[in-house]
Order: sequence, then C-alpha cells, then structure tokens
Amino acid sequence: MPQATPVVEGLFTDTANGPRLTGSRCAGCDMPYLPVSALCHNPDCDAPDLQPAEFGPWGVIWSLARQDYPPPAPVKFDEPYQAYAMAVVDLDDGLRVLGRVATDDPESVDVGQRVELIIDTLAHDEDGKELSTWKFRVVEQGAGA
Amino acid sequence: MRDVAVIGLGMHPWGKFKDKSVGDLCRVAVDQALADAGVAWREIEGVAAASSRFSGGRGWGLNGNDVVDDLGNTGVPVYNLSAGCAAGGNAFNVGWSMVASGIHDVMLVVGGEKMPKGFIQTSGVEEVTDPEYLRQVCVGMPGPAFWGAMCRRRMAKHGTTEEQLARIAVKAHANSVHNEWARFRKEFTLEQVLGSAMVSYPLRLFEICPVSDGAAAVVICSADIARANSRRPVWVAGSAVATARFDDGIPRGLAGPVPAHGEAYHSEAALAVEKAMAMAGVNPPEVDFMELQDNTVFYELSFPEEWGFCKPGEAEGLMEAGETTPTGSMPINPSGGFQSFGEATTAQGIWQVCELVTQLRGDGGGRQVPGAGVGLAQALGLGGNGSAVVMRSEL
Repeated sequence: MPQATPVVEGLFTDTANGPRLTGSRCAGCDMPYLPVSALCHNPDCDAPDLQPAEFGPWGVIWSLARQDYPPPAPVKFDEPYQAYAMAVVDLDDGLRVLGRVATDDPESVDVGQRVELIIDTLAHDEDGKELSTWKFRVVEQGAGA
Repeated sequence: MRDVAVIGLGMHPWGKFKDKSVGDLCRVAVDQALADAGVAWREIEGVAAASSRFSGGRGWGLNGNDVVDDLGNTGVPVYNLSAGCAAGGNAFNVGWSMVASGIHDVMLVVGGEKMPKGFIQTSGVEEVTDPEYLRQVCVGMPGPAFWGAMCRRRMAKHGTTEEQLARIAVKAHANSVHNEWARFRKEFTLEQVLGSAMVSYPLRLFEICPVSDGAAAVVICSADIARANSRRPVWVAGSAVATARFDDGIPRGLAGPVPAHGEAYHSEAALAVEKAMAMAGVNPPEVDFMELQDNTVFYELSFPEEWGFCKPGEAEGLMEAGETTPTGSMPINPSGGFQSFGEATTAQGIWQVCELVTQLRGDGGGRQVPGAGVGLAQALGLGGNGSAVVMRSEL
C-alpha cells in the first residue's frame, strides 16, 4: 500500500493520541488559529507570541452543506463524482473549523451531531497517489441547534 | 459635511452580451446618467469607479481609467475602488465622501462588469498562504455550499422550510417583471422553483443568483448645484463602508474562533448598515424599503433580522404574509434583486443606488413602493467588505 500524502502539509497530524489539527494558540488571549499563525489577530490582544497547538478530536456540527454538483477546481474529487457533505464544526477546544464529513449517507448528517476528527482519503492525484485530509465522523446524534 | 444629491442615473440592462465589451456596457450607463443629470462630461470633476477582477481594468482594476479613456481624457481624477462584490458600494461611498467634504462638486460613480461562466470561483490564488485556496483544496466549499451551510443553520434554529425559501424566489421574480433592467423578467411558480436542480441542499438553482453582465452609473453633486440644476434630485442621507469584525463567527477561511455568541452574522454588512442609518438618523420603521444583497434567498431572511428590522425567526412569517412585497410593511428588493439580475459583481452596489433613486422619484411603475420616502441599500464583498447607503426623496 502506498503511503497517503497530505493534500496540504502542516495542517494535521496523526499523534499517539489520534488525529489532531495543527495550528497555534495565543499565549495572551487563548485565541486558536488554523493554519499556524505567527501573530495574534485579535484586535483586543497585544500578546507578543503564539504557541504551537493541536486541536480536536471532539466537536459538534454547527452547520453543514451538501455539495450536490461537481465543484470547480481547485476542489479535488475522484470520478465518478459523488455528492459529499461538509460541516462547520465547533471543536470543544474553541476552534470553528470546516471539514468534510466521512459518510456514505450525506443526508443523515445534521446540525448538533457530535463528531470526531479523523484523517481520511480526499481523492487521488493524476498518478493514482492517495491524497489525505482531515474529516469528521459522526459519533453521536445531536439535539439540533 | 455638505448635503449630497444623486441627480442622474443610468444602466445597461443586465444579461449576457457576448458581442459587447465591458466598455460598451459602461458607455451606455454613463451616457444615460449624464443625460438624466443634464451634466456634460467636461463638468465631471472626479470619477469613482469599482475595480473589477473579471473584465476591463487592464489587469490592475483600472476600470475608471477605461471609462475616462472612452469618454475623452479631460485630466479628471479617477479613484478605482476594490472591495470584491461590494466595490460598487464602496465607490459610491468614496464619491459621496468627496462631494460631501467639498473636494469635488460633481462626480460620476460607475461600475460595469462582464462575468465569466459558472459560479464565481473564490480568490483564484493557488498558494497555501491563501485561506480560500486551503478551504477549497482541503475541504471543497464553493460559494453556494457556504450559503447552504448558513441556511442550514437557520433551518435548524428556526424551522425554515424549503417551500419558504422557494417563495422568496417567487416574490423576487414577480417584482422583476416590472423592471426593464432585470435579466430574468419572468414570473416563476413555486413548483418551478422547487423543481429546479439542487445546488447545495437546501438551496436550489433558482434560489441562487447566477452571474451576469451589466453596468450602472450615477451622477452626484453638492446640494447647491442640485437645487440650481436638477429637476429631480434624490438625497444621500447616510453612506458607510465597513469591514468584518474578528468575532462574528462567519466561516470565511478554514477556521476561526468559536464566537462567544455561538452564531454567525455578516458583521461587515451590519456595521455598514448601522452606520449609514445612524448618519441618516433613521430607525428601521422609518425605512420604507430596502435593496439587500440576495446572492441567495437566505439573505432575505437573515439580513433584516441582523439589522433590527424584525426579531430573529420572524422573517419567514413576514415574507409569507406578503410584508416583503412592494406594497407590504417591509418591502425587500422591489427591483427583483440579485435573483432577477444575476451578479455583475462590481456594478451591483451602483445598480442598487439606481433602484433607490428610481423608487424615491416614484418611477418604479409596477414595482413602485407606495409613498417611498426613505430607502436603504447594502452590498457585501469578499475580504469582509460591506457597504450601505440610505437615501431620501426630500431632505
């Protein structure tokens, strides 16, 4: 099995404790950043430095969307095209982050569901190499908005 | 600050015009605006223009320079304003600022665009330092899916139905029948809207604005000149631009902080609208109609609530009761809106001003808001840009 390549380097990693998103957190105001940020962009914060931070794996679906038609470049997908679900997830550690939802049934995904961060196949490049990204997997039905 | 009036408007109808250049479209709009104002090109003391990414401007957004070249170089100062889809609104604000502050007495504000086919792709920048690029490559959330996610949240919170969303599109097209500048001047039935292709659940093809070609222009001037020269001035009561707040919760890039309020709202739009209304000294009940940026029907529900025109969750009921039609208590987009025009992005903010002037002059015909005395227009653009203008028929 060839090793999957992250579609973009440096945004996620598989740790001993499982998948995590890799960004930064402000030492002054605790603001989370993904991707890594060199400076805090909170206008009310003048802390001098940000620390490396990991985010995930638990969160709640704030909202979601279904991609019912094949999207334009640079979005990546394998043929034949299958509609996918993506979610706006509020992670327990304070990051609101986008991600695809790993599911065969996009219609079953809903607002308020509890999710877990995973690393999964995004698509294959022109040489057949597997590209990976972070996604969310529903672990618990939710109570809506 | 001096009072400022709009004394002339001009538009090229919206549509797809493969045999016309963006310069051709702008020329039609500018010639009409000058004629309507009774002002000669040589009397224009400054040009504020919307910068386009898609057409004209020589790759630098020099769209105002294109217009000046076409009309004849008089040495007039040109201000090219870039603010994504809010560029027309921002250009109007800059023109207004310069006349209000006394730097120029008579100005032309213009925006025109020919759009490439298909839904607008986001930034067009393909590098990992660009948050839009990361979002598309790692997740894949084009504009309609973003709107879908915003709308889906509302459905979960307020129980909005697919039929209610479709009814907004039906209302928009009923208005467009009376607007000679609209691209789609045709009534749609509820069944036709609900029968159109699903783009990003719950939003269907006829609930999302397509892209169009179009151009709009207005001539603005100081109150003294307006009173002396114009038969039909309409007054700018408030004009504002804003950018987004850090904590508004809108998922613009890949990630952001979960806001304390838990929800998401377009702070750039709300801030611009609040500022323009405060400047005009009006509250929502005194605004007779609004032209808001309905890239999707969802915004006809969310924006009035975010701006204090009704309480959260009330917008669906008001729409169903007919209150958002031109003869209702809270008319929204009597023009037919982006749903009926399609988006010629940088011309939109100026076309909205044209609709305000048309309504406040009482020239709306079959889409006229009865007794319209105060109108509000709002535009929204990539980068967290918002603009708003409040206009009055009488000072």
